[in-house]
Amino acid sequence: MDIYKTVMVMLVEDDPGDQKLIRMSLKEQRIANMPIVSPSAEDALEYLNANKTGDTQVNLPDLILLDLNMPGMGGKEFLRRIKSDPQLECIPVVILTTSDSDKDILESFKLQAAGYVKKPVNITDFQEVMRTLTDYWFTICKRITHEPDRENSKCLIS
Amino acid sequence: MESEQKRVNVLLVEDDPGDQKLIKAAIPCESCEISLSIVSSGEAALNYLAKTSEQPEQFRRPNLILLDLNMPGIGGKEFLRRVKADEDFDAIPVVVVTTSDSEADIQECYGLHAAGYIQKSAMPDEFSQVLQKLTRYWFSVSAMVQN
Repeated sequence: MDIYKTVMVMLVEDDPGDQKLIRMSLKEQRIANMPIVSPSAEDALEYLNANKTGDTQVNLPDLILLDLNMPGMGGKEFLRRIKSDPQLECIPVVILTTSDSDKDILESFKLQAAGYVKKPVNITDFQEVMRTLTDYWFTICKRITHEPDRENSKCLIS
Repeated sequence: MESEQKRVNVLLVEDDPGDQKLIKAAIPCESCEISLSIVSSGEAALNYLAKTSEQPEQFRRPNLILLDLNMPGIGGKEFLRRVKADEDFDAIPVVVVTTSDSEADIQECYGLHAAGYIQKSAMPDEFSQVLQKLTRYWFSVSAMVQN
């Protein structure tokens, strides 16, 4: 599908095995652009902050897939920061984690995650989950357009 | 994929009877038990949420809200703003389902932390397929906050 060719996904994930599996699944779903892979929340924030203004805003992702348990800042603090930044808060963030604790689910949705997906152990299940996820976000959901120099580059147009 | 039967309460905020009917017909899911409540304005939806703690059997706390934008009264965006500013309800994902495809509406809704923005299709079959993809994502793949 043509729409997939323009999709940009950011993956914030410290585990190289999971990075590989998610990359493979996205490729399988015909997401043409390779995901922007950040091995830590700090690294991801640095990228987003460097690209949130002016002409570089076109490099902002359409969707962020976020692991929760990572060394350093971790997924939840990253999510809190994204969702309190007027220039980044409109980017949907989907949690992709091994944790299925009720506390993590509640906290993530309170921090405005746009979905919470437990990583399946089985590769076939993993690909099926990624298919449903990309179907939702890239075939039925409308995407935001990052336009540079528009009202101080804020997500929110009032 | 989860195999156990999951119970999901959905609140549909939609003023158009035709769209209500279409969504009601398309929303059932194989792997879960769905309870769908329908209100036809933002005000009625706020009243519904207020009653979820007083009369939980009659007014089930939603795990997911499907929200039209263009409705008389406060409308969808103001409802979304109020839900996301209320710490009792801010963890409920709200998916916008609307006829509007205006760039400003899309950006504003994501800025208000909508968990998806779906344009209604004029073709019932196509709309039904869209709703099936929506239910697959929310009911089979994403976890939800337990009530």
